[in-house]
Amino acid sequence: MRGKVLPVMSLLAALSLLVSCGRGPTVTPAAGVTPPGTPLVSPATPAPDVLGVLPREETLIVAQLTGRVGTPDDFNEWVGWKWRDRGMQQLMNEPLWSVDFATGKIINGLAAGDPIYSEDFKKVTIPLRKGVAWSDGVPFTAADVVFTVETLIKHEGFNAHAFFAENVERVYAPDDYTVVFELKQPNSRFHTTFLDRWGSTWIMPKHIFEKVEDPVKFKFNPPVGTGPYKLHSYDPAGYWTVWERREDWDKSPTGILFGEPKPKYIVFQAFANEGAKILAQLTHQLDAVDLSAEGLKAALAQGRTNRAYQKTFPWVVNNDPCITGITFNTAKPPYDNPEVRWALLLAIDIVEYEAQAVDGMATLSPIHVPSLGPYIDYYIKPMQEWLKEFTLDLGNGETFKPYDPEAPRRLAEYAKSRGYAIPDDPAFISRAFGFGWYKYAPDVAEKLLIKNGFSRDAEGKWRLPDGKPWRIEVISRSDMSHLEFKNAAAAVQQWKKFGIDAVHVPSDNVSALTQNGEYDVSGNWPAFEPWGAGPDLYRVLDPFNSAYVRPIGQLTQGHTSRWSSPEMDDVIKRLRETDPTKTEQVVAIGLEGLKILVREMPGIPTFGYIGFISWDEHYWTNWPGAENPYTQPYTHWGPFKYMTPFLQPTGR
Amino acid sequence: MKVIQDLFRDYRFTVSFCVLCLLFSLAFLTIFSPYDPTRWGVVPRDLKPSWEYPLGTNSKGQDVFWQGAFAIRNSLIISVIAGVVSRIIAILVGMVAGYRGRLTDRVLMFVSDSFLVIPLFLIVVMLAMLIRQMMNLVTLGLLLAIFGWAWDARLIRSQILSLREREFTQTAVLSGSGTLRLVLKEYMPFATPLVFSTLINNMSWAIGMEMTLAVLGLVDMDTPTLGTMLQWAISYQAMLLGYWWWIMTPVVLAILLFVALYWLSVSISEYLDPRTRLQRIGAQ
Amino acid sequence: MVFLRRYLIPRLIQYVLVIVFGVTVVFLIPRLAPTDPIASTIAQIRSQGSYLDPATVDQFIEDLTELYGLRGSLWEQYIALWMRLLRGDLGVSFFQFPTPVIVLIGRALPWTVGLLLTTTVLGWLIGNILGGLAGYFSRHKWSQALDILAMLIRPLPYYILALALLLLLGYVVRWFPIAGGTSIGMRPSWTWTFIWDVLRHSFLPALSLVILGGTLWFQTMKLVVQNVNAEDFVQYAKLGGVEEGKIVFRYVIRNALLPQVTGLGLALGQIFSGALITEIVFSYPGLGMLLYNAVITGDYNLIMGITLFSIVAITTAILIIDLVYPLFDPRVRYR
Repeated sequence: MRGKVLPVMSLLAALSLLVSCGRGPTVTPAAGVTPPGTPLVSPATPAPDVLGVLPREETLIVAQLTGRVGTPDDFNEWVGWKWRDRGMQQLMNEPLWSVDFATGKIINGLAAGDPIYSEDFKKVTIPLRKGVAWSDGVPFTAADVVFTVETLIKHEGFNAHAFFAENVERVYAPDDYTVVFELKQPNSRFHTTFLDRWGSTWIMPKHIFEKVEDPVKFKFNPPVGTGPYKLHSYDPAGYWTVWERREDWDKSPTGILFGEPKPKYIVFQAFANEGAKILAQLTHQLDAVDLSAEGLKAALAQGRTNRAYQKTFPWVVNNDPCITGITFNTAKPPYDNPEVRWALLLAIDIVEYEAQAVDGMATLSPIHVPSLGPYIDYYIKPMQEWLKEFTLDLGNGETFKPYDPEAPRRLAEYAKSRGYAIPDDPAFISRAFGFGWYKYAPDVAEKLLIKNGFSRDAEGKWRLPDGKPWRIEVISRSDMSHLEFKNAAAAVQQWKKFGIDAVHVPSDNVSALTQNGEYDVSGNWPAFEPWGAGPDLYRVLDPFNSAYVRPIGQLTQGHTSRWSSPEMDDVIKRLRETDPTKTEQVVAIGLEGLKILVREMPGIPTFGYIGFISWDEHYWTNWPGAENPYTQPYTHWGPFKYMTPFLQPTGR
Repeated sequence: MKVIQDLFRDYRFTVSFCVLCLLFSLAFLTIFSPYDPTRWGVVPRDLKPSWEYPLGTNSKGQDVFWQGAFAIRNSLIISVIAGVVSRIIAILVGMVAGYRGRLTDRVLMFVSDSFLVIPLFLIVVMLAMLIRQMMNLVTLGLLLAIFGWAWDARLIRSQILSLREREFTQTAVLSGSGTLRLVLKEYMPFATPLVFSTLINNMSWAIGMEMTLAVLGLVDMDTPTLGTMLQWAISYQAMLLGYWWWIMTPVVLAILLFVALYWLSVSISEYLDPRTRLQRIGAQ
Repeated sequence: MVFLRRYLIPRLIQYVLVIVFGVTVVFLIPRLAPTDPIASTIAQIRSQGSYLDPATVDQFIEDLTELYGLRGSLWEQYIALWMRLLRGDLGVSFFQFPTPVIVLIGRALPWTVGLLLTTTVLGWLIGNILGGLAGYFSRHKWSQALDILAMLIRPLPYYILALALLLLLGYVVRWFPIAGGTSIGMRPSWTWTFIWDVLRHSFLPALSLVILGGTLWFQTMKLVVQNVNAEDFVQYAKLGGVEEGKIVFRYVIRNALLPQVTGLGLALGQIFSGALITEIVFSYPGLGMLLYNAVITGDYNLIMGITLFSIVAITTAILIIDLVYPLFDPRVRYR
């Protein structure tokens, strides 16, 4: 009988060997360019005809970021959450303006140019593009914009109801291609509600919505938009949505600006787990996908026709305008004390931290905007001198300068030790790893804590000033590939090493916990993301407005750290009164705000958001990779529509 | 002593006994672990098995051998607590309900039905969120035990219902045996195979449940268990990156554990059965 | 009449009480747990850094509280819930606002029932038939081989089993699709192409569930049959020269089946909570993900809607089992 056990066991072993294919994953310097591993299936295997209904060579398939659509037959994006990244914001809809963070430009969509504000910021005039038609052929005019705003004000069920009801006094169209807003109070950033930055206020087709009895319950199916594609079909179970190129694509801003979109059909497909995404791409059933760090490694190791954003280390998309890190709940002691927050920062060895979080692939930033895109020149470089001189008071007359411009070099050393090919070019190092971070100084952290009444017990474990053991719970969402999770996990490791009883608590209801203030420390972004184009930091700083802070247990409207200060309030007030297009003034105020954030450290900025994109070049090429970043690279961002005219079919 | 000797005559008992001993000693070995199992980066990453690291290292910079040892220990703790506690409840409820009948049966079955109808998954997820801070191996085991007995109580009750109509019950009742004595002496041997097989099923369910919670990230992911270890390996794409030692360790450990438990239970119930038959023949 | 008064009516009262109890628990638990439907909605609308002017969030929260019907004390909401349920209204989903809960369930239910009903019954039949035979002929080589196979498959964590099937049959040999319930661009219709497409997509999830269920039933059945087989009446029958097939089916299987029938009933009742891991691994539509998402976003109405189905189904399954018990085992009387 024991003889029978063997075949089964060997079957299992064979399965695992099949997967590993013998060759070890240890990275040798020679293999530095491509990640380890050997393909499971030889590249010669033909791709099966998966579509049946759609011609594969004319179809582009991309993974949907937010997963399976819960409301597949409902396209009324103005109410609740409608999984707008299923193609609605990318292909069906054109916004007035879009942010393209790769080029740092604002693209005019339905608008013909910049908004024109009056001196007192109480009146905005927006010029609209001529020659645009809705996908059912009706021309787009200013009447659609006026109708949209008036409808949103009329019904409470719309998400944007509160915004427009509180801001807009009157909206009217002097002619078919101009719209004028009169505002209830001065607002220098009113137009940004129409600026697509992963969503914006969309324009309703008046000729459809005016016939609808209850526009809140209306399903808007089939949807009508001004984008270059229209709905073809969707899965009633919510796993895929197919879009078809409009015959009159030249009546959409995309067509007018960039020409004919190449794919005839574009499919957004949802997957419930990452393994399936990778397998789908390896079998050429998925052209573009966002993965985790490990997922990208696996996809590159197994695939032969797929590529990452950068063709060599660090592979990732590193021009995303978002900064990741750690957020403290400053409404809860001891995290209400900036010196405690600084001590926790100095207890972090950033090289080890980033190694554990993302294997050294991300760019460090010491301030609350990422060291990427336009922010390097506007803020990171001008702040270097100030950062180097920035001093902490450790008590007893001791001081400490925490800034470390050498941190990126240390990170580069780590990456080399992992076998990745790193050029010694300082320009490469500052681009890939940043301009600096803070020193690893556990001794200084210790002094700061002792100064504030903390102590170590006999085993070296930290105790709070009241003598109780110090336990830090770091919460994050539970998706293990998310950078919130990675930041939280890495911080916990660092603080454990420092002698604090830190635990990582992933939870799926992290949004409720953080917004209600029921947590100590979280892996949330330490600051809101900036626009992604231009120097304006209004979006970063305004959430720290003291007007938004609520007591614990109530939903906050601002940043989840619940931190504010009169000094910051003043900065925000001045920024509000400044025209966002006046670069010099905006940057000067922005610098002030960022310096306050460094001093106060309501959250620790660590590295900029990195995207692990994998593109398959089997059917489509000319992706906007690092060597040719003609537009932002994501398929879930609105400007994906502006990528479609540039993609090239391989004709396979 | 004779019992042990008889049992060891069955090779299945011998094998499973040895495997269990091995697993338990692995669990005890964790006392001597050179590493804190919750810490990352204590060894170089992604190394193949070697003399220094017998089962290799994982992408978090941990020694897979020690992770496996901790995982088997922690999973044993959870599943044994869940299995044994829920078995005790199930046997008590099932036997009393089945034997006493009438109102007692009705009340007990109301309770067990209530436990069955509350969607277990909802409760476990919600409770996991509620008692986040207190969630450890023991509370998780107890939580699973509280929701893991109702089904099996019904199974045992149905067995008892069928047994009590048989003649030996009447004989025993006529000869004046007490309830407890009757239940233990006459019914237990019949129920034993069922109890054992539901025990393995329950332990495997507990580990499966723990695995599900780990997949959803509702348990402490830094505490190694078979579930969390697998989840880390899967989400770090160990399968496609070829780190087979990382993913196969928890799988093989799980197989060893359950094969051993299964053979043990089969062997014991087979051993129990002829004895009871002989006894019954003797009694008649 | 005695049966009606002494057994059936109290049993029906118990049936109703269990349902009321279940609904109350499902009402309370999510409201006690730290989930917040409004926070979830706002967080989702703000996801990926999309902008919601902080100055107007207060008013937005007010609007949502009104729309979601979350005003009033717990007690008032509980009464309102029963008023709604008794009218047959499950309300609207919060996270999928304003889609009615019944529509969401109606969309997911066919997938879940189709997949789980088939696999539960198939797994039960295969497991029990093989288990019964293997238990009866436990000395045969093939019986022992089956036993070992089941023994090795059973402890495989389901997640791994499912992933391995996906990897082997979806990728290494490309026989089955990797994800989804239908092919891209396929519109639902009663054509052979569509049905075939659905069957092809459901094969892998079904296979994984049949393997899992089958081995479980197999092991239980084998043990029970071995036990019954050793009992006096079977031995007498054998000695009395009763035909082999007759012994297996009339005496052994029939007697061993009682606990298995109980199990099947409960398994069928539990179908309505869906199969979450299956849905995750195979990106398959169904109630599992719907319920899980409802739980984590604090979508009270949707949680109640799905679990109500599940509560009623399980309670009814138990009721039916209790009522048909004596048909299978005449020795059990209603009491």
